[in-house]
Amino acid sequence: MAAPAQLGLQNAASPIMEELIAFHDHALMIIFLISSLVLYIISLMLTTKLTHTSTMNAQEIEMIWTILPAMILIMIALPSLRILYMTDEFNKPYLTLKAIGHQWYWSYEYSDYEDLAFDSYIMPTYFLEPGEFRLLEVDNRTTLPMEADIRVLISSQDVLHSWAVPSLGVKTDAIPGRLNQAMVASMRPGLYYGQCSEICGSNHSFMPIVLEFIYFQDFEVWASYLYIV
Amino acid sequence: MAAVPEPDEPAKRKPFKLLGILDVENIPCARDSILYGSLGSVVAGFGHFLLTSRIRRSCDVGVGGFILVTLGCWFHCRYNYAKQKIQQRITRQGMKNKLLYEGTHLDPERKQNNGNSSN
Repeated sequence: MAAPAQLGLQNAASPIMEELIAFHDHALMIIFLISSLVLYIISLMLTTKLTHTSTMNAQEIEMIWTILPAMILIMIALPSLRILYMTDEFNKPYLTLKAIGHQWYWSYEYSDYEDLAFDSYIMPTYFLEPGEFRLLEVDNRTTLPMEADIRVLISSQDVLHSWAVPSLGVKTDAIPGRLNQAMVASMRPGLYYGQCSEICGSNHSFMPIVLEFIYFQDFEVWASYLYIV
Repeated sequence: MAAVPEPDEPAKRKPFKLLGILDVENIPCARDSILYGSLGSVVAGFGHFLLTSRIRRSCDVGVGGFILVTLGCWFHCRYNYAKQKIQQRITRQGMKNKLLYEGTHLDPERKQNNGNSSN
């Protein structure tokens, strides 16, 4: 999750998020260089004594400031499209998880297992243990196996919601009457936090998402324990 | 994940960002690219001035040199960084597979040795 007052992206937990961070660095470097150039040109314009009020044409500069931005846009668009198509790749998933948005909680269903479903409400502040995070903890975490491709089917039971987990680079709208599909894969075990990202009423800020990625064998134990319960 | 800093740990200082946007400390290759770009800018600008004694044009050449050298170093460094990351991933996966499959029929080294001995 984010550190206090963090502005940048969170550390990547999935390969897609690593690619997104790399693309962000690439775009930021281009933006930085363009900003430096613009600042320099502004300083030039403010310090010149030369004026020319009857310019009729300027073919060379027109060529430069047409072709150069086109090349810059291509340099940005190509990696962007590569990542876009990468996010749409669907390898054979190990597990399918349904995430359904409600006002104001998420419910999860593991369709591969019979009768494995639960609701995930925000943990009220007065129930938090020391060290837990305010407005981010939930009563039932969504446990998933790490290093496995997981298909998440996202929908809503009432209004628009959005299922977002920044560390995994996933944000998918939950639309009533529609099933959206996202692929999620974590490279390491841990807890990954997210929050609803589409305004959905008074408690929109109070329906967080917590994914708990664990080892395969522990996941099987967890799933079988929930059967028994 | 955020963690409350221990009393003995030094307080984390705010990261330094060029023009308020470019975090040169934490973005891989950013610091090297900016430093090489600055060096290239000084060399190009000063060199142009020594040859032509034109101040404004030398400043323009310096800025142009900064942009080109920074961009060139950036792409070169990021390309090598990406290759390195892929190599690290392959190595990590190979080490994990070796630990998992050593001594079993899936051990790739055993398959390789069988192939060599049959030849």
